[in-house]
Amino acid sequence: MKRTQKLQNHLFIGMAIVAGFALLPMLSDERFFLGQVILFFIWAIVAMSWNLLAGHSGVFSLAQLLFVACGAYGVAMGVTYFGLPIWVAIPAATLLAVVVALIIGLACLRLSGVYIALLTLAIAQIVHSLILSDTSCLDGSGVSCVAVSGGTRGISGFDGFGFKPILRGNWILGNYYVILGAFAAVIFAIVVVIHGRLGLAFRAIRDNVGYASSRGVDRKRYQLLAFVVSAFFTGLAGGLYAAHFQFAGPSIFEFSNVLFVLAMMVVGGMGSTWGPLIGTALIMVLTEIATGYGDAKNLLLGAALIVTVILMPNGLAKVIDDTFTKLRGVVRPKTIGKEVRN
Amino acid sequence: METLVQLTLTSLTTGSMYALAAVGLSLIWGALGMLNMGHGAFMTLGAYAAMTAINALGLPPFLGIFVSLIVGAAIGILAHLLVAKWVIVQDGAHTNIMVATAGLAILIEDSILKIYGGYPYPQPFSVTGSVSIGGVAVNLQSVFILLVALVLVGVVAFLLLKTKFGRAIRATAMNRDAARLMGVRTETVFLQVMALAGALAGVSGMLISTQATLSPMMGGAPMLKAFVICVVAGLGNVWGAGVMAIVLAFAEVVVGYSIGLHFGFPAMLLIVILVLIWRPEGLFGKERVVRL
Repeated sequence: MKRTQKLQNHLFIGMAIVAGFALLPMLSDERFFLGQVILFFIWAIVAMSWNLLAGHSGVFSLAQLLFVACGAYGVAMGVTYFGLPIWVAIPAATLLAVVVALIIGLACLRLSGVYIALLTLAIAQIVHSLILSDTSCLDGSGVSCVAVSGGTRGISGFDGFGFKPILRGNWILGNYYVILGAFAAVIFAIVVVIHGRLGLAFRAIRDNVGYASSRGVDRKRYQLLAFVVSAFFTGLAGGLYAAHFQFAGPSIFEFSNVLFVLAMMVVGGMGSTWGPLIGTALIMVLTEIATGYGDAKNLLLGAALIVTVILMPNGLAKVIDDTFTKLRGVVRPKTIGKEVRN
Repeated sequence: METLVQLTLTSLTTGSMYALAAVGLSLIWGALGMLNMGHGAFMTLGAYAAMTAINALGLPPFLGIFVSLIVGAAIGILAHLLVAKWVIVQDGAHTNIMVATAGLAILIEDSILKIYGGYPYPQPFSVTGSVSIGGVAVNLQSVFILLVALVLVGVVAFLLLKTKFGRAIRATAMNRDAARLMGVRTETVFLQVMALAGALAGVSGMLISTQATLSPMMGGAPMLKAFVICVVAGLGNVWGAGVMAIVLAFAEVVVGYSIGLHFGFPAMLLIVILVLIWRPEGLFGKERVVRL
C-alpha cells in the first residue's frame, strides 16, 4: 500500500472515531459518564503523543507527565495569579510546556537509550518533590500559608471554561465538545505526522541511528523535534485537564500516574497508530472496575504492565492486526532480520 | 570545624547507603543489560521484612539485617524467574524490561500498602548512644551503618575479584555471547547477580529506614538517587558507582545544609546533568559513545 493511501485510511478511521464521540452525548448525557469520556480524551492525547515520542522516535522519555503538569499548572497559575482568561491561559500554558521540553530535550538528548529515560524520570520526580515540599508563603499575613505552587494541595477553585452561566445544567456538554475538538485536532495531527515524511524520519532513527544519519537524517534535530512536538500536545492536554477540573496538583505527575499512562501506551501497543487509544479505553475501564474491588487499581496496573510485556510485547494493536491478517488469509512476506528498536 | 566533621560523617553515612543500592543496580545493568526499576521496591521490602521479623516474630534486632538480606535476595531471584528472564531475550529488551520492572515495583509497593497500611512505622532496629571523636559527638548509628556498608562492599569486591563466581559475572558483563561460548552458564550468572543485587538493596533499604521511617513509598527517592549515581559513573561501572555515591552524597548533604534541605537532591541532579553534557558516557564509562 502506498504511503498516501495508508494515511488516507487512517484519517478515515480518525474521522469515524471523532464522529462517534460527537454523537455519543445523544445516547447518554449522564454527567459521570461524560466526565469519564472527557478524561478519556485527555489521557488519550497524552498516550498518543507519548507513543509518537517513545514508540515512533525511540526516545523513551519518562517526563511526559511533567509536561501535563506544566500545562495544568500553567493554566492554574495564569488564571489565578495573572487573571488571564482561560482561552489565553491554555495556549500560554501549552507554550510553557514546549519551552520546558526544549530545555529538558537539549540537555537529555545528548544522551541515548536508557540514559534518557533515567534523566527524564529524575527531573520529573525532582520537580514533583519540590512542589510537595514547597513552603514558600504567598500570603504571609493570614494564619494559613498558601504556597505559590499550591504545595501538596495544588491550586483549585479558579474559573474553568465558563460554560456554567451559558449552558446551565448542560455545562458539561460545553466542556465535552471543546475537549473533543482538541482531541480531534491532536489525533489528526499525530496521524499525519506518523504517516508522513516526519514519521518516516523518526522511525528511521529509531531503527538504525547510524544508517539514518549517514543518509542525512540528523538524530538530534529530529529527536528534539519529536520531543517538542509531543510535549506540545501533552501540554495542551494538561491545560484542558486544569480547565475542566478547575484543579492542578502534584497528583497529576506522581509516579503511579506515570505508570497509569505508561500502561495505556504499552498495553495498546508502542509504535502503532491507534494502539494507545485502545489502551487508554481498556486501562480506564479496567482501573474503574479494579477501584471497586478494594482499591486494587495499582495492583492491576502493575500486573497489566508485566503481563503485556511478557506475553505481547508489541501490545494489543499488534495482536489485533495479526488476527485480522490471519482471518483474511493474507500471507505477509516475512521481514528479514530482526526489528531493531532502541 | 565541628560542622565540617559532622557534614563529612553525615555524607559518608548517606553515601554508603546509596552505594549499596547503586552497586546492586550497576551489577544488574552490567550483567543482564537491564535497568531494574524495581530496585526501590526491593529496598522497601527489605526494610519491612526486617521490621516484621523483629516486631512480629520477636527475633533479636541485629538479626533484622540478615532477614533483609535474605528477603532481598529472594525477591531478586523471584523477579528474575517471573519477569526478567522472559523479557531480556526480547527485541527492544532495554525499554521493555524498564516497563516490566516498573510494573513489578508498583505491584510490590501496593501490596505492602495493602498489608501494612500507609502509616509510617519506626524501624525497631537501632543502635543507640554516641561517642565523641575530636570533640564532635558521633552517633553510633551512623558508625554502624558505615561499618555494615563497608563490610558488604568488601564482600562484594572479594566475590567479584577473587572467586570463580565473580569471574563468571565479570565475563558475562563484558560480553554475554563470548562468556557463553567459553562455558559460562550465563543463566545461572543472571540468577546469582539478581540475588546479590537484591540482597544489597534489601540491606540498603533496611539501613535507610533506620534513619527515617518505613513507608510503602520509601524506596522511590533512594532508587532515583542510585540511578543518578549509576548514570554519572557510567552504567555498569560498579566501582565508579561506589565512589560517586560518596561524592554525590557529600554534594547533597552540603547543599542541603547550606541552602535548604529539599534542594539537596536537585543540586545533585544539576551536577549530574552538567557532568553528562561534558561526558555523555559517564565519568568512568569506558564504553565509547559515538555521537550521531
